[in-house]
Amino acid sequence: MAFRSYARGTAALALVMAAGTAQAEALKIGLVETLSGPQASTGLLYRDAVLYGISKINEAGGFGGAPIEVLEYDNQGGPVGAADRVRAAIADGADIIIQGSSSAVAGQITEDVRKNNLRNAGDEVLYINLGAEAMELTGSKCHFYHFRMSPNAAIRVNTVLDGMKEAGALGTNVYAINQNYSWGIDVQDNTVAAASALGFEVVEETLHEVNKIQDFAPYVARIQQSGADTVITGNWSNDLLLLMKAASGAGLDARFGTAFLDQPGNIGNAGAVAEGHFVSTPFNAEVNAEASSAFMEDYKSKTGHYPSYVEPAAVFGIQLLGEALAQVEPTEDGVDATALALALEQATVETPMGVVSMRAGDHQASLPMVVQEVTRDAVYKADGTEFGFSPVKVISAQDAEQPLQDSCEMKRPG
Amino acid sequence: MKLGPISLAVVVCLLLAMPWLVSGSFLNAAIQMLIAALFAMAFGLLCGRAGMLSFGHAAYFGVGAFAAVHAMNAFGGEGLLPTPLLPLVGAGTGLVSGLVAGYFSTKRTGVYFAMITLALAELLHALAPHMKAMFGGEAGVSSFRMPAWGFSFGSITEVYFLTLAWTLLSIAALYLFSKTPLGSLALGLRENAHRLRFLGYNTHALGTLIFAVSAMFAGIAGALQSLNIEAANYVVLESHISTAVVLNSFIGGVRVFLGPAIGGAVMTFFGHVTSDLTRVWLLYQGIIFVLVMMFMPRGIVGEIVDRFSAPTRAGILRLLGDICLRLGAVAVAAIGAIFLIEFLQRLLSNEYRANVAAAGWPDITLFSMDWSPLSIQPWGFGLGLMAVGIALVVTINRRLAARKEAEA
Amino acid sequence: MGGAQAPAMSPPAIKKGMGLVLDQIIFALLNGTIYGLLLFMVSAGLTLIFGMMGVLNFAHASFYMLGAYFAYTLEPLTGFWIAIILSPLLVAGIGILVERYILRHVHAHGHAHELLVTFGLSVVIAEIIKMAYGKFAIDYRVPVELNFAAFSLSGIDYPFYRLFMGGIALAMFIAIYLLLTRTRVGIVVRSAIYRPQMVEALGHNVPLVFMGVFGFGAALAGLAGAVAGAFYTTNPNMALELGVMVFVVVVVGGLGSMGGAMAASLLIGITNSLAVGSNFMLADALALVGLGAWAQDIGGLLTTRLSSLAATIPFFIMLLVLVVRPSGLMGEKE
Repeated sequence: MAFRSYARGTAALALVMAAGTAQAEALKIGLVETLSGPQASTGLLYRDAVLYGISKINEAGGFGGAPIEVLEYDNQGGPVGAADRVRAAIADGADIIIQGSSSAVAGQITEDVRKNNLRNAGDEVLYINLGAEAMELTGSKCHFYHFRMSPNAAIRVNTVLDGMKEAGALGTNVYAINQNYSWGIDVQDNTVAAASALGFEVVEETLHEVNKIQDFAPYVARIQQSGADTVITGNWSNDLLLLMKAASGAGLDARFGTAFLDQPGNIGNAGAVAEGHFVSTPFNAEVNAEASSAFMEDYKSKTGHYPSYVEPAAVFGIQLLGEALAQVEPTEDGVDATALALALEQATVETPMGVVSMRAGDHQASLPMVVQEVTRDAVYKADGTEFGFSPVKVISAQDAEQPLQDSCEMKRPG
Repeated sequence: MKLGPISLAVVVCLLLAMPWLVSGSFLNAAIQMLIAALFAMAFGLLCGRAGMLSFGHAAYFGVGAFAAVHAMNAFGGEGLLPTPLLPLVGAGTGLVSGLVAGYFSTKRTGVYFAMITLALAELLHALAPHMKAMFGGEAGVSSFRMPAWGFSFGSITEVYFLTLAWTLLSIAALYLFSKTPLGSLALGLRENAHRLRFLGYNTHALGTLIFAVSAMFAGIAGALQSLNIEAANYVVLESHISTAVVLNSFIGGVRVFLGPAIGGAVMTFFGHVTSDLTRVWLLYQGIIFVLVMMFMPRGIVGEIVDRFSAPTRAGILRLLGDICLRLGAVAVAAIGAIFLIEFLQRLLSNEYRANVAAAGWPDITLFSMDWSPLSIQPWGFGLGLMAVGIALVVTINRRLAARKEAEA
Repeated sequence: MGGAQAPAMSPPAIKKGMGLVLDQIIFALLNGTIYGLLLFMVSAGLTLIFGMMGVLNFAHASFYMLGAYFAYTLEPLTGFWIAIILSPLLVAGIGILVERYILRHVHAHGHAHELLVTFGLSVVIAEIIKMAYGKFAIDYRVPVELNFAAFSLSGIDYPFYRLFMGGIALAMFIAIYLLLTRTRVGIVVRSAIYRPQMVEALGHNVPLVFMGVFGFGAALAGLAGAVAGAFYTTNPNMALELGVMVFVVVVVGGLGSMGGAMAASLLIGITNSLAVGSNFMLADALALVGLGAWAQDIGGLLTTRLSSLAATIPFFIMLLVLVVRPSGLMGEKE
């Protein structure tokens, strides 16, 4: 008896409290990342960056007076798991879905969110894509509730070419070698498209299978044969490392322009092989050193490591989201996704690299890019080696921007 | 233990009542479990009943999934068939691809058969990215469930019932199939193919037919998955999908009728729950698999069926008692092992290593207590529990063996 | 050589061009051979174990990965040379434990179970490696004293380390061959492959032989990992990447045949290397019968270059072999 009345009392109290806080129910964000399996390494970096970014927003007062809650879901590395977890996140009350580490997963999530919003008009959710860079996400698959916070193939390629030209490292014979799937093809197409404007010739294009090649020596022999002095590649992870090691072993005299040379472990593994090669990313700690190093140290104090690879852009993306959140009013069940999307289109945020904003036409973030070279003089060393990334050229958000894709037909609300 | 009509009815009722019993998030998992169960059943027909170990069943699952997604998108999104009938498309394409692949692979037996299925699946997987019109790009092919027969198919509950209906129908069909002469011949194929041939049967045609039927049900499972997630991506052709179904089926017990289904459902549920709890759930999955293979070679359901095969009331009670004892002992060892693994995982994580460099060896919070990695407590606790648990298991096993001997 | 039209060549230029093409072919063959030899190093142990115990060991590529990680761990303490000797011994120890305490336990349940238990093991090993060493590639590199060009042909250096790897593989092949054919142990092992009961009846301890072979096979994979891990990359997915290819080699060569494994490794290594260098596509073949334009219109697979399909060729070879000659190139058992 005593227990039952106690339980009743607690329930009543809970009801009263719930009524009191109904207006300010905490905003929930569903982080649907790859946290286990072969591709988990990048997923965990996104997780760190999101948790850091949200903790900053919460320190500044959260949203509607309550701290934002991050619900973590493991998409198990594939679209099926992601579909399952997106539903779970929405069922658990998440108003925003965040993901970044795979375009295959992103393709699933962006469609799931679009369909969910079609079916549940008035109760939409937002998808913040932190790093899936496939062009079609802001092209044929673009929609009003998807926002990409990272650069894409067009931005990466054009900025790295631009920076290499400025540094006098862009030759006249360029070889494009890429992985044979949409990302690699995007990089290849953009390389070819930039040829006449920058005055080089694409001597050969090669597409190879993704993460299946152990021995890149035959490919390097082809590059050598073509007489290329510059290699542009969108390869990542093992495909990049093995390609560069094989190139160095063969004494290939060509500069590499890459998109993902800064992935943790790459410099450690490649060592001197990576020296003198280029990468274009949204952040370098030597640019605007004072503000940047403050960010670096603060990030390290929270997560245990300096931000690298995808992390800075992800943090900027969350900051942009924070700016947008500050412009909208909380609703009973969190936030009105449509209002938030409209605010996000207008949001700008000042980062150590410059102003980051969102392009309304296709919801592609417009962000400054830093072209950098692997040198021994870099202030921050990578992977505990003597090498690091030295900035060569900072390209402002306007200059880095690439034209809208015709395939994007965004249906706006109302 | 015969699945009596009553227990069967209870299970079906439970499944029917599921949407009102569990949360939305779990209902999602239930859909995945049903699909995994059906896929494993299809595999079980081939491997358990006909003795052909296929390492490439993802191919037929994937073919069914893509066929269904294209069927959904046919006629400008109107769909080739009404939504509830779309799995028929998966069944059809699964059957046809199974006939072709089966014709080649069943020419050989044993390891060679397994390798042909593996090669066919790998080839399809490698070629899929080159055929963009068919398999979509990296972001896959997307589709939309159209309303039909008075249902909108917008809510998870409706998808659940659709999946449930197809899964139950397919399992019933598989059961009936096992009672046909062809089903009996499949057993013969497993036990003694030579003899079957001497009796005048065309074993190659027989093998091809059974392979095709298995591929057909795999195709239905694939189609159900497309219906569920409204998309198909060529990652469904990856080899780990093929190996997952093998593992699930063997964990459940590949030679008992519902074994694969239960294995598939249980392991999917395991993944659903543990992947959000711990980052090393794959490690636990691997360990469970190794242990099941070592100590329960007939699979979980297989062992249970085996033990309860000749039940008397007293016998069952004693068996239950034995099982509880064993489970208790295993649980003790498991807690120790889980503690050690989680402790090590935290100790070895990048965050902790960074802390060590900065601030020495801070305590690690686990099981809501703080443990210093430099002290003996965490290691003693984990290893101790494991040792006690294993010792208990060994003692119980010895005792039971001694009792059995005394009785015999 | 560029995309632009080459001007008409003068005779010396043609001669130079011919020389270049010849060099390319020499390089392609050399690269293919060395890659094939690496495949052989890993598959030698696998085919030995299969021939003897009938077990297709899914964890074999994991031993390759363990070899690389152990060598990486030992290198700072002992130096490179001792590390690549000690690491295979450690891997052999693990192999022996696996055989003694896991495989032998499962043996009675049949080959399918043995195969599956090794699959479970490969998952466990990969996850433990990730826990201990992190999920990214580690900086295990070729030691500086071995990192130089052996020779140079038409401007392309050939790394010495590649030759070094090939040399180790060849030495391994010769040693295994002599061991199996010239020593008493080898005779026992070979007879245990064909007639285990008979060998047991003659008083040999067959389980001990099995354990020894398993440990030896694991050590071979470990050595391959210790040597090749430094040249390629050492990461937690390296077993996954090589695993299937090694199976293909063993099946194509003929299960249990050492010479077959060598032949199959070289075949796959060289075809791979040549395919990468070729621009051939199906549309070209169709153009010969006047369907070129049609094929170009269709696109898709017909216009996919052979070089981007290089990784599928081994599977084609395996299918072909399995359908035409299932016992493999040199296998005797089916």
